[in-house]
Amino acid sequence: MNRREFLKVCSTVATASLASPSLFSKLVQAQEGAFKKYKKALLVKEDGSPLKPEDLKVGKEYIFFYPYRSTPCMLIDLGEEVKGTQVKLSDGTAYYWQGGVGPKKSVVAYCSICPHQLSYPTPEFSFINYYPSDTPSKVVGRGNVIQCCAHMSIFDPKKGGTVIDGPAPNPLLTIVLEFSDGKFYAVGTLGKEPFEDFFDAYRRDLRKRYGSSRKAKELVEKSTVVEVEKYAKEIIRC
Amino acid sequence: MADFSRRDVFKLAGVGALIGTMHLSSTACAATTASRMLPPSKGNRVVIVGGGWAGMTAAKHLKKEMGDKVDVVLIEKRKIFMSCPISNVWLGGLVEMDFLMHDFHTPASKYGYTFINATVTDIDRDKKRVYTTEGYVDYDYLILAPGIRYNYDAWFKGDKDMARICATHFPSAFIPGSEHVALKRKVDNFEEGTFVLVVPPPPHRCPPAPYERAAMIAHVFKKNGVKGRLIILDPKDQIKPKGPGFRQAYEQLYLDIVEYVPNAKVKEVDPVNKVIKTTAGDFKFDDANLNPPHQAGDLAWKAGLVNPKTGWCDVDQLTLQSKLDPHVFVAGDASSVKGFPKSGDMAHNHTQNMVVKALTALLKGKDPYEAVKAPTNTCYSMVNGSPKEAIVINVLYEIDRKKKAPVKKKVNVENTRSARLAHATFEWAKALYRDMFS
Repeated sequence: MNRREFLKVCSTVATASLASPSLFSKLVQAQEGAFKKYKKALLVKEDGSPLKPEDLKVGKEYIFFYPYRSTPCMLIDLGEEVKGTQVKLSDGTAYYWQGGVGPKKSVVAYCSICPHQLSYPTPEFSFINYYPSDTPSKVVGRGNVIQCCAHMSIFDPKKGGTVIDGPAPNPLLTIVLEFSDGKFYAVGTLGKEPFEDFFDAYRRDLRKRYGSSRKAKELVEKSTVVEVEKYAKEIIRC
Repeated sequence: MADFSRRDVFKLAGVGALIGTMHLSSTACAATTASRMLPPSKGNRVVIVGGGWAGMTAAKHLKKEMGDKVDVVLIEKRKIFMSCPISNVWLGGLVEMDFLMHDFHTPASKYGYTFINATVTDIDRDKKRVYTTEGYVDYDYLILAPGIRYNYDAWFKGDKDMARICATHFPSAFIPGSEHVALKRKVDNFEEGTFVLVVPPPPHRCPPAPYERAAMIAHVFKKNGVKGRLIILDPKDQIKPKGPGFRQAYEQLYLDIVEYVPNAKVKEVDPVNKVIKTTAGDFKFDDANLNPPHQAGDLAWKAGLVNPKTGWCDVDQLTLQSKLDPHVFVAGDASSVKGFPKSGDMAHNHTQNMVVKALTALLKGKDPYEAVKAPTNTCYSMVNGSPKEAIVINVLYEIDRKKKAPVKKKVNVENTRSARLAHATFEWAKALYRDMFS
């Protein structure tokens, strides 16, 4: 795709996303290689009822698992409309990131496996987290960022998870959300997937947690959203 | 060879036998170094000498970038990888040794490069050939990652016996292996008296390592109720980097144990009578960790790529190609890049973002300078063992295309020790091991 064609797709996708969320994901699919569709999964609360926009506290980091039962993602309501933008990958390719979803178009979701060296939240520790503006990262002195404390990669949650600073070669993988009838659905991923490396690097941990690699790779049809503090014993913010 | 006569063959064999005998008399490995180990290169062979942090990173990331289009050969003499980063934490008894140990075979198998477990005996840059105890390998590009060597000559002026006595009785443990185990034994067994730790003069491997090591030794002494002192003899006028963090730890956690002596440049070391004379006075010790100055590793000297004035290899500041030979990249601690500390994280980062990117571009016929990316460097130091607490420095660089050099963009330091940073220390290491070894 050349630059002109890309811009055409971007503007079409942007316009379409205003009109219809499902049309949006179809158009996102048209972005060669970047979008991958998975089972559509309803996001639910701990009691099993569908997650509603009012259940989300602004600036709070939530965790859910998608597209596999073992691959963690973060969900954040950034409190204001987040516009779509172009996101570049290290190989020079680019894709159009949808921006926020929900009634205010303020809700974003990313896979919380660090694209640098695969640090991810476990039941023991969460090293990669969202830092709201009122609790900035001490080390880098910035808020409104997602930061991995292993090597201080910093990502912009308002710009499709693009890398602001640090060693990560690629942006965070976007979890593509749809919002319809007052409910949130995860429908696929956008960007460079870390899953193959993740399953390979953590074979032992995942086997311990889920019983086997095969079980860890089961796709979800429904995913429970909880505050990250309820999942990980220690949230490492640095 | 087709019209070679029987007589010619005998003649050649005779010469060969003669040469063979001559070689055997001079070096035991001559017979094996004479044989070619791999098929001739197809023009895309990169030989990496040294399987440390730089070498392991280069091997994996070259294959990740170029796949089958590059033929990568990694030559390493050790039978198993032992990590120098985190070894201080192990010295403090906070992790088991298996945390530091990794195998060379898994990544070679996974990423498809050739791993040769042999000692390099010589490097012939004219022939572009690396000789090893198992035979020789030809290269198109060489990545030399030999790490460091100790410069005992700076202390003992060529007296090899004294150097050996010092190295045997007071091992430095800045090159992983037996020395580390010996040092741990010393620290664990120490009961009373004066233990001296000599900080090498800069530039040396891992700038904060001596201070972290002091904290971990002090932690062990504190835990063991040692009646004694740990004296840090530093040639610098202050602790750097993370000075405030280390100072606070020494004052708040180990006040009765640690004595920090700045401006203590070594004048004379007497390992027999256990005395060290410095510009800050003379110190008698009962046991010690004596760290001589560091230089580029032996193989860099063997390859003739070291600037004797500095003891390190002069390299292009963006691609890390040797100033003396553009077919050789010097990765890791042996290279000299302004503003880069010699550390595992830095070796990993500059190898991945500069060496590998530049070399990939060259192999693809593209501009290596355009391909190079800015590295970062993150370095945690464990300062407390109970509870585990750490401090951290994070340096961001950017590429100055005009100067053709990396420059520091931002330095972030957290000198307030915390348990959070201790947890992050372990994740820092696990993530890097994951990148190089899984």
